[in-house]
Amino acid sequence: MNPVSKLFLLGSVLMLTACVGAPKKYDYAQFRTEAPRSILVVPVINKSVDVNAPDYFLATIATPLAERGYYVFPVNMVKSVLSDDGLSDANLVHSGDPRRLGELFGADAVMYISIERWDAKYVVLSTTVTVELNYTIKSAHTGEVLWSNHQQVVYQPQANSGGLAGLLANAIVAAIAKAAPNYMPLAHQANNGAINFKGTGLPAGPYDGLFGKDMSDY
Amino acid sequence: MTVRVLLITPILVYSLAGCVTNHQRYGWGSYDPSLYAYYKDPTKEAALAESLAAIISTADSNHAPVPPGIYAEYGYLQLQEGKNLAAVELFKQEESHWPESKVFMDRMIKVASAQTATSTTK
Repeated sequence: MNPVSKLFLLGSVLMLTACVGAPKKYDYAQFRTEAPRSILVVPVINKSVDVNAPDYFLATIATPLAERGYYVFPVNMVKSVLSDDGLSDANLVHSGDPRRLGELFGADAVMYISIERWDAKYVVLSTTVTVELNYTIKSAHTGEVLWSNHQQVVYQPQANSGGLAGLLANAIVAAIAKAAPNYMPLAHQANNGAINFKGTGLPAGPYDGLFGKDMSDY
Repeated sequence: MTVRVLLITPILVYSLAGCVTNHQRYGWGSYDPSLYAYYKDPTKEAALAESLAAIISTADSNHAPVPPGIYAEYGYLQLQEGKNLAAVELFKQEESHWPESKVFMDRMIKVASAQTATSTTK
């Protein structure tokens, strides 16, 4: 087998395993018992040095959750209302009782997200952009953890030419990526990886035709 | 060149087959980029409001459902502008489209109505 075919095969196998689902299935027993219809996304904890990361991330999370079939509380409005109630501190909200939030908003479940990494590191002619997130959904009725997921997405932009010109091109690409890293595609990819993968993602919500019928996958 | 095409094609095909779940359920318009632009520059609130209004009007004319939360987000921006009556109407819309929002919307309708009552007695 020539090297190209080997690479081709490796690529295919990697993509297949990634898409068909992770080998270990998440334990959905509690999730199924409660079958939440609505998800309240609360302010995001930020462990990165980018102070804007939580807000930027918030602009990516409502769409994939709603498309999965859940009612998602209006994220920007929730953020403002919590802030008006003196609850703008994400750490405070995360350590609080999800049942209290459930009463305030009438939510079935609360989604807690923490940003572990949101950075661009420059090392020898190349920049690595990393977004790493932890997702947890807790019941707003019992306070129990219903689901959790961890995602790390890494992007290393490369110029496509070889030789000295390629080195130079790479250096320019890396410098641009370092100066103005674009985290949003990585955040979208992380959300997709967390929510939409069979066996580890979120079961279909009530506005999806498969609600309660995807037991074999989740 | 051939090598690159060979490598990219199977990846695209598998992504489409295995990862991308389905077509969009809702008409999101420019919701994500508008909210991002607003967080990047909070003076762009009017642009965010416009994009939310556009989602609602396009959906009404195209019969593509308005996503959850959009009526409420738009209503909240109206409330912040002091347009309480418009806000109440939008909160009611959110509630009638999404019964899951009832507790929250009832609370916000109370807040907006109370503020209206105060401002008319002044």
